[in-house]
Amino acid sequence: MATIKPGMMRRPSALRPMAAITCLIILVAFQISGCSTTKPPTETLASAELTMRTAVEARADELAPMDLQRAREKLERSKKAMASGKYEEARRLAEIAQVEAELAEVKADAEITRRAADGLRQAVDALRQEMERGMVRGTSTGTPKE
Amino acid sequence: MRSDWFFGNASLSATAFGLLAFFFAGCATVRNPALDRARDAYETARRDPGVAGRAAVALDKTRMTLEQAERVWATEKDVSEVEHLGYLAEKRAEIARVTARQRLAADEILGLRPQRE
Repeated sequence: MATIKPGMMRRPSALRPMAAITCLIILVAFQISGCSTTKPPTETLASAELTMRTAVEARADELAPMDLQRAREKLERSKKAMASGKYEEARRLAEIAQVEAELAEVKADAEITRRAADGLRQAVDALRQEMERGMVRGTSTGTPKE
Repeated sequence: MRSDWFFGNASLSATAFGLLAFFFAGCATVRNPALDRARDAYETARRDPGVAGRAAVALDKTRMTLEQAERVWATEKDVSEVEHLGYLAEKRAEIARVTARQRLAADEILGLRPQRE
């Protein structure tokens, strides 16, 4: 009994700093990892893929090739990260692919609308000029046809 | 001597407290460049009356992403996540600008049409 007692006396006091340090290490680890239990970002990736297809439908590979290529790259990298279990990285890459594909899509839409507006403006100008010429020549030649 | 093989008890508590304070209170005055850029991009888009009037939904999405970035920065101080969200917000602001441009051209088409008829 006499030999055990000093050991028992020593133990708790030696354990306390050890326990404190262990707690600290766990806390720091949690802080660094962001206390996240990461799940595979299946839905995010599926949504990015869908937006990608929408962008292709909007003719983005012809009208916004750079942006679409950027999105496609991120999507591929996201899939690779997903396959190797890096879910956090996969989620971020899929989210980036999503916005880049959306950007490619609206750029393609904007380009199509701009071209349509330009074409219409030119047609209207040409028509107006034709009408003015017709008026100068007089009414005998008739009004220009549409 | 045995009880402080690493630190004395008092300095250990002080270190622990200091570390905890650093992590939880954080360095509140430290700025995040990605967050600043995202804020600028949103503010520029929001102040543009063409964007605010023609791409309100895209602008709302930008604001929501920016708010998420601000929240993560304020609470978790997760730099890589804030940078990620900041980039997303910047791209969303660009989407808002391009959407506004597309609708402006569409409005032009609608305005030109009656003259042709």
